[in-house]
Amino acid sequence: MAAKTHRVLPGFGLALGYTLVYLSLLILLPLGGMILKASELGFGQIVDIALSERSLAAFRVTFGASLIAALINGFFGLIVAWILVRYPFPGKRFVDALVDLPFALPTAVAGITLATLYAGNGWLGRYIEPLGFKVAYTPWGIVVALTFITLPFVVRTLQPVIEDIETEVEEAAASLGASRWQTFVKVIFPAIFPALLTGFALAFARAVGEYGSVIFIAGNLPLISEITPLLIISKLEQYDVLGATALAVVMLGLSFILLLAVNVLQWWTANRHKNNEPLEVTAARAGGAA
Amino acid sequence: MSIEIRNISKRFGNFVALDNINLDIPTGELVALLGPSGCGKTTLLRIIAGMESADQGEILFSGAEATHLHARDRNVGFVFQHYALFRHMTVFENVAFGLRVKPRKERPSDAEIKRRVMELLGLVQLDWLADRYPSQLSGGQRQRIALARALAVEPKVLLLDEPFGALDTKVRKELRRWLRRLHDEMHISSVFVTHDQEEALEVADRVVVMNHGKIEQIGSPDEVYSAPASPFVYQFLGNVNVFHSRVQGGYAEVERHEVSEKTTAFVRPHDIDIALQPLEDGLQATVQHVHPIGPLVRIELQHNSEIVEVELSRERHEALQLVVGQAVWFRPRQMRVFGADQLPRSTPEKQAFLF
Repeated sequence: MAAKTHRVLPGFGLALGYTLVYLSLLILLPLGGMILKASELGFGQIVDIALSERSLAAFRVTFGASLIAALINGFFGLIVAWILVRYPFPGKRFVDALVDLPFALPTAVAGITLATLYAGNGWLGRYIEPLGFKVAYTPWGIVVALTFITLPFVVRTLQPVIEDIETEVEEAAASLGASRWQTFVKVIFPAIFPALLTGFALAFARAVGEYGSVIFIAGNLPLISEITPLLIISKLEQYDVLGATALAVVMLGLSFILLLAVNVLQWWTANRHKNNEPLEVTAARAGGAA
Repeated sequence: MSIEIRNISKRFGNFVALDNINLDIPTGELVALLGPSGCGKTTLLRIIAGMESADQGEILFSGAEATHLHARDRNVGFVFQHYALFRHMTVFENVAFGLRVKPRKERPSDAEIKRRVMELLGLVQLDWLADRYPSQLSGGQRQRIALARALAVEPKVLLLDEPFGALDTKVRKELRRWLRRLHDEMHISSVFVTHDQEEALEVADRVVVMNHGKIEQIGSPDEVYSAPASPFVYQFLGNVNVFHSRVQGGYAEVERHEVSEKTTAFVRPHDIDIALQPLEDGLQATVQHVHPIGPLVRIELQHNSEIVEVELSRERHEALQLVVGQAVWFRPRQMRVFGADQLPRSTPEKQAFLF
C-alpha cells in the first residue's frame, strides 16, 4: 500500500482543482481563443503584419517606453520604499497612502491630468519646453504616464522585504568596518535585489499593457508615438479583426518571453544560496569533522 | 585593550536601562555580564560596541576617549545571539567581509585574504564548509562562523551578546569551552552577555551581576557564588531556601541583643544536612517529594507550612533511603543573613540557626 502523505490542512485536491479551473477560465480560455482566431492567418501573414513598418515602430515605442518607465521606478521606487520603511516622519501614513493612488485613479484621468500639466501652456510644460524638452505628445509623454501608473508595483513589492532585513546584519557590517555605502551595496542590496526584480517585472508588464493614460498624452503619431494597444484598437475600428489578433498574439508572445526571463533571473538570484545537497550529506562525506 | 566605563546612564523613554554604571575591564580578561532579561546587560554591551549611544558618561578604550566613536572605527568584534550572518554570501565571503571592506591602502591582497580566511576557518574547525551558504549550516556552526568573521579584522575587544542562547545544551557546553580556549589564544579582552548563571560561572574570569540597570556585584565566579553581595545575587545564582519568619522570631542572636531588625537568611539546597534521628539545633520536617535529577536527588521537605528544598548526592540518598511522608530532621551547614537594608550581616556560623 502506498504511503499517503499526511497534511495538516485537508483539501489539497479540491484546492488544486479549483485553482486550475479558475486559471483556465480567467486566463487560458480567452488567450487560447485569441490564438485560435490568429491561427486563421498563416504564420507568414502574422509575421508580415508584425514586421510592417508601423507595427515595428509601435512595438519599439511600447516596449521601449515600458522598459524606461520600469527602470525609473526600479530606482526611485526603491528610494520611496526605503524611506517609508526606515524613517519615521510626520505625515508618513499619508505619503504611504499616496503611493496607491495610481492603482485607484481611472487611467484616462491620469493621462489627461499629466497631459495638461506637461502641455506647452501647462504648469510644468511652460517651464520645461523653453529648455528644449517637449514631454506632452511625444514618446517621453508615454514614459511619464507609464512611470506614474507603475510606481506602486515596485514600492509595494519592496516594502515587506525591506522590513524583513534585520538591523543586526547592518550592525554586524558596521562593526566589521564597512561604511554606510559598502553596507548598502554589499549587504542590503543583494538581499532586496530579487524583490526589486519582481517589482520591476510587474511594473514592466503593467506598462506594456497600459492604454488609457497613454493615449491622452502620447499624441499618437503613427511611427513616432503610437503604442501597440492603440494600433490594435485602430485595426479593430477598421474591422481588421485578424490583423488586430495577429498583433495581440505577437505582443503576448514577447511579453511572455520577457517576463519568463525576468522570473528565471529572479528565481536564480533568490535561490542560488538555498539549494545544493543537504548538510548531513556533506558532514558525512567530511568524516564527521565537525 | 582595556575598557573603562564611567558613569554610563541610558534611558528608553521612562525605562531606565542603565543607571550610572562604572566598570573596568582590564586587557586580556574574559568578563561575563550576567542578569535577568531587561537588566540592561545587552544595552551596556551595545554601548561599548558603539551601536547605542549613552545619555551620560563615557567609554575609554586603553585610556583614550571613545564615547562618540562610530562602531566601524572602534575595532571591536561583535557576535550576535542570532548570528547575523550575510545570507547571500558563502561562509568564506562572510569571514572575508571585514577584510574586503577595508580602505584600498590597508586592504590585503586577494591571496592574503584567502590565507587569513582559511586560517580562521581552520581555527573554528570549519574550513571544509568554506563554499557553503549560512542556511546550510547548523546553529553551532553558524555561531562559529560568526566568531571567525568577527575575529577576521583582528579586534582588540570581542563582544558577544548571548552567543550561545539559541543553541541546544550539548552544543552550548562545547562552544563555551571552545570560546574560553579561543580567548586565551587570541590575547584579547572579551565581554559576553548571558542570563545563564552556569555559563557565566564556567567561562568567565570575572562575573558582573546586573539587575534593574545597576551592578549588584563584581567578582570572580567563586566570589559571586559563595559570597553573594546581595539577596538578589544569592537568588539569581542557583537555588536557595529563604527563611524569613524563623530568623526574625527565633533567631538567638537577634533576640539576645534585643534588636528587632528584620533579617532574611539564605541557605543553598546543597548546604542542608538531613538525618533520620533528632539533630542538635535541627528542625523536624516531613518528606514531600523525592526527585532524582541526574547526579543529584532533590528532596522537598515540609516544615510547618513552608517548603524547604534540599539537594543530596546519590550516595547520601541511598544511605538515607528517604520515602515520601517520612519524618526527618534537617540542619543547614552554612548560611548567609541579609538585613532589611539588603546588606550582608555577619553572623557566628554556629549560632546563626538557633531556633
